[in-house]
Amino acid sequence: MKRIYAIEELCLNCRLCEVHCKTAHSVSKDIIRANKYEEPAPASRVTVYGDNMRSLALNCRHCDDPKCVKACITGAMTKDAKTGIVYVDEDKCIGCMTCLAVCPYGCIKEGKTAVKCDLCRNEAELACVKNCPNHALIYTDSGDDIK
Amino acid sequence: MKYIIIGASAAGLACAEQIRKEDKDGTITVFTKENYLPYSRPSISYYLKGAVKESGMYLRKNSFYKTNGIEIITGVEIESIDRQAKTVKAGRKKYSYDKLCICTGSKPFIPPMKNVSCKSNAMNFLDLESVKKIKTKADKNTRAVVIGAGLIGMKAAEGLSKICKSVDVVELAPRVLPSILDEKSAVSVKKYLETQGHIKFHLERTVAQAKSSSDRITSVILDSAEELACDLLILAVGVRPETALAEKAGLEVNRGIITDPGTMQTSDENIYSAGDCTVSEDMLDGSRRVIALWPNAVNQGIAAGSQMAGGSIRIDGSYSVNAIDFYGLRICTCGLINAKGGAYSDRIIRNGDSYKRLIFEGGRLVGYVLINSSENAGIYTSLIERRVDLQELTGDISAVPQPFIFDKTERDKRMKGAIDS
Repeated sequence: MKRIYAIEELCLNCRLCEVHCKTAHSVSKDIIRANKYEEPAPASRVTVYGDNMRSLALNCRHCDDPKCVKACITGAMTKDAKTGIVYVDEDKCIGCMTCLAVCPYGCIKEGKTAVKCDLCRNEAELACVKNCPNHALIYTDSGDDIK
Repeated sequence: MKYIIIGASAAGLACAEQIRKEDKDGTITVFTKENYLPYSRPSISYYLKGAVKESGMYLRKNSFYKTNGIEIITGVEIESIDRQAKTVKAGRKKYSYDKLCICTGSKPFIPPMKNVSCKSNAMNFLDLESVKKIKTKADKNTRAVVIGAGLIGMKAAEGLSKICKSVDVVELAPRVLPSILDEKSAVSVKKYLETQGHIKFHLERTVAQAKSSSDRITSVILDSAEELACDLLILAVGVRPETALAEKAGLEVNRGIITDPGTMQTSDENIYSAGDCTVSEDMLDGSRRVIALWPNAVNQGIAAGSQMAGGSIRIDGSYSVNAIDFYGLRICTCGLINAKGGAYSDRIIRNGDSYKRLIFEGGRLVGYVLINSSENAGIYTSLIERRVDLQELTGDISAVPQPFIFDKTERDKRMKGAIDS
């Protein structure tokens, strides 16, 4: 399946991906409201790690055999059979965070429910990829494509 | 092929799903003595406090079973296994199998207490049926007493504290949540539960007897002679593996059902066992014990299902990992949290209301206790599971673990999602 790959060498540590991820997962879908005023504040599902010397924007790897899905105690975490997207059904999630405890990549964040990248499954475009100013996030079939 | 699975919770459902992935044609029949399709048992405390509805507790959509050709027979308890004839029996009916998996889970352990059994307001806190009964009996005037401060007891206490007048918890051990907390962290968690939940603890105490009026308990008397008024008594001392079927069938049982730790095959080549009724081998210290936790049950169910269908998935290492929250306090634990002896060392990082304890054996991480500090805990879990030599890391792991604790080669591998395949 196509996944988002981060290229460390191109990442500027600007965190615009986080800003646009929050916007895409907000109620208002307005960049100012989503990032400054909305309550509860929408959470970014992509996280930039590192500093100005080297950084990378990490989001869910949408594993072929996801540990988070196997560990989910309510059936809220599922991998869509058609698209391969691993996502949380927020109505079923009780926020126990067992998924977070088993994700080897550190890609699930705490919230009222588990918070993670859903590859913008309800959006027209991938917010982080589209808005990365230096093309440090690419959406492609295989990580082997990246240089 | 005819597959039968006894028990329809984490292990049983995972087993059925895995069989279907590897065998498109076999018939799969899952028996559950409960009257419900597979649901989330850990959600019952959330149901009690009203945070989830019953409809939100079901693990799969109703249509899932038909679509995948998995027949779930509810409300039927398997009474015996005939290994020669390869049949299981329920009432007058017999069902034949080629491969059988026992996923019977656990049963409550109730220590002897005078005047408690068969009382109408003394109950377990284990399944949806029991919590439905509790819900009809608990209201704002109820004075509840919970026996047991383990995961089940404390989740019951948390749920009850939102709807009852008072909650007292009686625990034999000197600390709360003894299975997931070490001595150091249990003290602060207890304090938090007392202030947030107004729970009153009676540690290192047992209930000696109950006073009753007809079939209702009215108070319980502790071994210290203290008397606690009681309108509702929750029995959550602990659970034991449910092995009666396996024992009756002559399978090897030692506390739990004994299997090959890789294939989950029991001492009968056509019978497998998975989940809380089964003995696991802890990869971190080699001990053989029941690891009654959800992820372990699912992994065992998957391995058993694969092996039953002629596949090749095996368990290549079990360990305990658990995450739970109480009144917003997040507790995340993994591995050997109570390891004793000179081979182990630990590091504790306290910061305001957060607590992090990392446990090491030589140069490896073998366990953690994280209270309000579980960010990226899964990276720790993977260091434990993969027995990573911490000297290979390029960064310190005391702070929040993140990709730059790994070198570039490992970071690239992780970006490609290739570390656990």
